[in-house]
Amino acid sequence: MTRTNIALLVLIACVAALPLFGDAYAMRLGTMACMYAIFALSWNIVGGFAGYPSFATAAFFGLGAYTTGILMNKGVPLSVSLLGALVLCLVLAAALGAVLLRLRGHYFAIASLSLVEVFRELVNNATDLTGGGMGLNIPLVSGSSVLSDATFFFYAMWGLLLLTALVVIAVSASKLGFGLNCIRQNETASNMVGLNSTLYKAVAFGLSACFVGAAGGLYAAWVHYIDPSDVFDILYSVKPIVMALMGGLGSPLGVVCGAFVYLGLEEVVWRNYIQIHSGVLGVLIILLLLFLPHGLISLHASKIWRGLFGRKAKHV
Amino acid sequence: MLAIQVLINALVLGCLYACIAIGFSLVWGVLNVINLIHGSFIVLGAYLAWGAYNALGLSPWYSLLIAAPSFFVFGYLLQRLLLNRVITAPVLVTLTLTFGLDLILNNAMIYYFKADYRKLILNPPTGSVSIFDVVVPVDRLIATASALALTFLLYLLLRRSKVGRAIVAVRLDRDAAVLMGVNVKSIYAVAFGLGAALAGCAGVLMALIFPISPLTSSAYLGKAFVVCVLGGLGSVSGALAGGLLLALVEGVGSVYLGPAHAVTLSFVLLIIFLVVRPQGLLGRKGFE
Amino acid sequence: MFHPRLVLTALSASFLLAAAGLGATSSVASAQDVIRFGAPLPITGPLAPEAVKQQQGYDLWAEQANKAGGINVGGKKYKVEIVYSDYQSNTPRSVQTTEQMITQDKVNFMFGPFGSGAAKAASTIAEKYKVPMLAATASSSQVYDQNYKYLFGTFTPNDTLTTPLTKLVKAKATDVKKVAILARNDLFPLAIAQEMEKSAKENGLEVVYFEKYAINTLDHSATLSQIKSLAPQWVFITGYTNDLLLIRKQMVDQQMKAGVVTMIAGPAYQEFIDSAGATAENISSASWWHPAEKYDGKDIFGSTANFVKLFKDKYKLEPDYAHASAAVCGALFQMAIEKAGSLDRDKVRDELAKMDVVTFWGPVKFGANGQINSLEPPVFQIQAGKPVVLFPDAIKQGDFKLGVN
Repeated sequence: MTRTNIALLVLIACVAALPLFGDAYAMRLGTMACMYAIFALSWNIVGGFAGYPSFATAAFFGLGAYTTGILMNKGVPLSVSLLGALVLCLVLAAALGAVLLRLRGHYFAIASLSLVEVFRELVNNATDLTGGGMGLNIPLVSGSSVLSDATFFFYAMWGLLLLTALVVIAVSASKLGFGLNCIRQNETASNMVGLNSTLYKAVAFGLSACFVGAAGGLYAAWVHYIDPSDVFDILYSVKPIVMALMGGLGSPLGVVCGAFVYLGLEEVVWRNYIQIHSGVLGVLIILLLLFLPHGLISLHASKIWRGLFGRKAKHV
Repeated sequence: MLAIQVLINALVLGCLYACIAIGFSLVWGVLNVINLIHGSFIVLGAYLAWGAYNALGLSPWYSLLIAAPSFFVFGYLLQRLLLNRVITAPVLVTLTLTFGLDLILNNAMIYYFKADYRKLILNPPTGSVSIFDVVVPVDRLIATASALALTFLLYLLLRRSKVGRAIVAVRLDRDAAVLMGVNVKSIYAVAFGLGAALAGCAGVLMALIFPISPLTSSAYLGKAFVVCVLGGLGSVSGALAGGLLLALVEGVGSVYLGPAHAVTLSFVLLIIFLVVRPQGLLGRKGFE
Repeated sequence: MFHPRLVLTALSASFLLAAAGLGATSSVASAQDVIRFGAPLPITGPLAPEAVKQQQGYDLWAEQANKAGGINVGGKKYKVEIVYSDYQSNTPRSVQTTEQMITQDKVNFMFGPFGSGAAKAASTIAEKYKVPMLAATASSSQVYDQNYKYLFGTFTPNDTLTTPLTKLVKAKATDVKKVAILARNDLFPLAIAQEMEKSAKENGLEVVYFEKYAINTLDHSATLSQIKSLAPQWVFITGYTNDLLLIRKQMVDQQMKAGVVTMIAGPAYQEFIDSAGATAENISSASWWHPAEKYDGKDIFGSTANFVKLFKDKYKLEPDYAHASAAVCGALFQMAIEKAGSLDRDKVRDELAKMDVVTFWGPVKFGANGQINSLEPPVFQIQAGKPVVLFPDAIKQGDFKLGVN
């Protein structure tokens, strides 16, 4: 296990200490932070490792949320519902991936974006099953106090984050990870040396969707009421990309840090710039892309030093 | 007869869709940049027309004349100063950059104009014409005719003028164009400016028919996407073909599957085309 | 030097803690004699125009209450302070901001966010923290079906609008046999459309068309052509103001004519009448309140006429039901607090549950699920550019007119 991956696990372990310091609202933020980190890590599998810019995160988030919601409404306990959501997203994404990942670049991006629209409208129209535009109620999981509720969901999301991180680390160290790397660098050549790129890509897409789906399920149980425009929101697809770009494409530690930093920024901006918060987000994105294209992880202390004081670096 | 009415509706709507998409298609085809600001450009053009009509009494025709050069300059500068820096970066970066720019523009519009829906109400109202049993609103006819005129103008520009031919050359083969002495950097900016100008003019035309609000920008963008994929990139005929196909699918889908399903159908069609025929109906690497 | 990874990890962890800490430390300095009401509103985003109305209602009430010295809590007068926040028309954010207001801003009581969807989502937080929440704009009974004790709403269920409407049309427009229903695929518009379908069938009308259109649909021409070809005598459309304006325009474009055209929920707003112009003529609708009501209330506003006058003086506009509902929520909280004689949330909640009083809004009594069940919603029709009340008879201003061009 590389040092970055160890650092990642340490970071995640530190986050677990949040309930000791914060109240219910802080835990709400912490749960969101873990959720964002799950998005970023999952997206990284297909976007960072394999190099396919996927916009499908929101599609599987929503799918997981609705699957869990519908199952729970039928009396299935939370853990089994989450498992159901996870498996469904894994299988469906792998199947879709085999087809859609034949497209490259822009075309793949658009196809994955359209998945979000298609899933949303399908859910919108299956009114009898999902409530359609009227939304879906999800029964309360734990009827007890606010604090214990908040703590429960925080640890549940945190646990999912840990699982995601472990799987991502395992993938990056395995043949799958190596294969995805090859695909990113030169898919044609990889095919020529006998790599079954369709299989690898399908698995990658499946993995990128399953934890997002489970996170969606947890989210649904957490908020008790979901409707299609909330969970199939395109921003859930764009934010992981910004987080990954912020932290450093391809690096699991980088994307998780990107997720945490992004959440912090989002909170600060939302509170202080109510009217223009999305504009501020836009400015942030532009500055990021123009001046820090490789993400925060590329920040060397010497670069910061140079940026601040303009001295020449001792080495190139 | 319902079928004929739906068909005529689709034809008219299709040309409007083509008008919305043509600027987007040009930018995508030539610069290989998916311009997510396109929808907001259209809305801005609509506000221009609305403002000019209500505040100065200028008819939308004049707004067209104002919109074209001002949006061109705006787009040209935007590309030259900002987008050009990332033009060689991967897809992801350009997409996210234009997304960020769109957030800024959209937010600015909401801030200044508020999210309320406005309508450009022509005084006197234009009404509708009825031929046999088929009814067509006059304002849509006017907008359609203008849209067709605009696309025809673009076609002439791309075919006849030196700049136009340079744009097509860059689209066909960038490196060869460089060898032929074309200043690619400047052409990129010109193409983007042209795309912006077309979006602005499309916005002026849309103002006649649809409500104006920053919230509609994603709807326009979505249509532009689908039209480009269905019809093929970078060409006028592609945009027209895509627009007509989309409008037809939506219209027929509305009647047989219900309006809610019509939207799903258009996106499913999009995915099918992407997988089966990504170059669209008329896309080919060539002259329009 | 510092390893970049270390820098990065430290940076991100600190950001997270800072954000959490920001929360904890941002408690606002609270003056002793102030009661704080949380009002999450969609100040930005598609629902922004609705937020303006609610804010105007709340502000008018707060102003009146403070003018009278404040709310009387067991002998001591407390000033009213309303804490606003923007949830960007995004339901998950409305939930987040509700929690933030309760835990960070330490509000005493909550107003619900706009609409049925967000109110339903946010009510869970209010219930968890046991904070009484009054929802000013949530009508669908689905909002109140979670057995919550702390949620109350001032809109009666959707069928209280559709039933009198159907009865009126059946009585006055005897030729009406077929009705076509087009609904926006959203909580309130779809729910009320379903009620309409039920109501129509119960009254012997044939529902020849029932479809939903997606949110953000720009072009309805194919749908409207289809409805036109079915030749219904009654066309019933639901959506929000902009949808209804768009559909109305496209109906005129298609030269659609019908005996009765009903639209919910835009025609009550002046903006609808202004934008639709002559095409609004004879459009019927129903809402929960109308300025022509003649109630003599025990609340701070007193009579309906007085409320209308105060509203007009402050804002130079005629109030519509959205403004009035927001104001009455404030007034109801005031009455409950004064009756309870304390700021204890459970006591105030109990007073709200027991409430049985006439206000400028109408008689207020909440059902067991928290939704008001005592109103008689007016049915009205736009005639000569003004909404004219047709029902109930007590405040009837005119007669039903057939024929919409």
